[in-house]
Amino acid sequence: MLANYLIGLREGLEAALVMGILVAYLVRTQRRDLLPSLWVGVGAAAALSLGLGAALTLGPRSLSFTAQEAIGGSLGILAVGLITWMIFWMGKTARYLKRHLEDGLERAIAVGKGAILALAFIAVGREGLETALFLWAGIEAAGSTAAPITGAVLGLGTAAALGMLIYRGAVRINLRVFFQWTGVFLIVVAAGVLSYGVRDLQEAGILPGLGALAFDVSDTITPGSVTGTLLKGIFNISPSTTIVEAVAWVTYIVPTMWLFVRMAFAQAPQRSSNQAVPTSA
Amino acid sequence: MIIRTRWALACAPVVSALMLSACTGQSSGSDEAVAVTSTNDTCEVSQNSAPAGTVTFSVTNTGTEATEFYVYEGDGTTIVGEVENVGPGLTRDLVATLTPGTYVTACNPGMNGEDLRAEFTATDAAPSSQPGAA
Repeated sequence: MLANYLIGLREGLEAALVMGILVAYLVRTQRRDLLPSLWVGVGAAAALSLGLGAALTLGPRSLSFTAQEAIGGSLGILAVGLITWMIFWMGKTARYLKRHLEDGLERAIAVGKGAILALAFIAVGREGLETALFLWAGIEAAGSTAAPITGAVLGLGTAAALGMLIYRGAVRINLRVFFQWTGVFLIVVAAGVLSYGVRDLQEAGILPGLGALAFDVSDTITPGSVTGTLLKGIFNISPSTTIVEAVAWVTYIVPTMWLFVRMAFAQAPQRSSNQAVPTSA
Repeated sequence: MIIRTRWALACAPVVSALMLSACTGQSSGSDEAVAVTSTNDTCEVSQNSAPAGTVTFSVTNTGTEATEFYVYEGDGTTIVGEVENVGPGLTRDLVATLTPGTYVTACNPGMNGEDLRAEFTATDAAPSSQPGAA
């Protein structure tokens, strides 16, 4: 049950954290009216994934490996685009907060319902199909043993609870600090999603270089362990990383982090003490 | 803002269409089914050959750690197919399209890089299925 619990936790963690931050952002910028769009996106992604998972598990058709990797890879790269947009949209808010320009803040957070819906849909749907196939396998096994599906559901529940905790914490801390550090955190998450998407495309044979590893510490940090689960679940850091993955990670994170830090941290006013949290980056 | 909304609304159906169109249209009749049993330290493949075409590996994890199952080209590095997140007690399918030739199957219990490999042959002629020795 523990192994299935950790798989459930890993599959759900990243989406739960991104959703927790997004909900906190909308609540703190008085955009509760956008919350229904967010939940529609989450619900649609979950329903589509579970439906597709059911059709593939119970029906005569199956998904080829290449197709599944191609879907995972493309959704991953799409998710990076949307999360990056969300990061800079938050960063812009942080900048306006600094100047206390209320109307500026209004303009910065002006965002369509459709954009929120798409962001929630992709963030949840990215790992949705694999999670659904995993859950359906658990349901199929439930005839002989209920342990796998119980573990899987508890794992996903824990991920959701952690997303909730992030939200709870985020609504308490200083708003500007919130935008700055969630931005930094999300950039690291997005870089991980990108490198994982690149690996999916490598495994599907669309990109080369699967055998060329930059490092391999899978003997020390096994992917099935708690540490491996958290590293993978939050930052998508794989114990064995290919050179192409590492290059994509660095190529994304360096300019993005630089632009973001320049935008959200520069010329901090006196009141902001900017306590650095070294573990965030 | 209008542009963003339209773009985003256009995005969801495109993704759905992509996901749906990616289903392979194999009929279950011509599939060759191979049972794989993965424990913490063994990887039993029910047959070591199958007629070329669509082969479904049904991977059952009877161990206590999560496992994953790979089918590689004969070189042992190029992935033909992979199914991951096979938790203890679960059975998950890997559908691979194999052309005649030699392949390598591998279970990876604990996903720690020490996988359990075996050779697998996709045979040329594809008449009735002839299970080989385990």
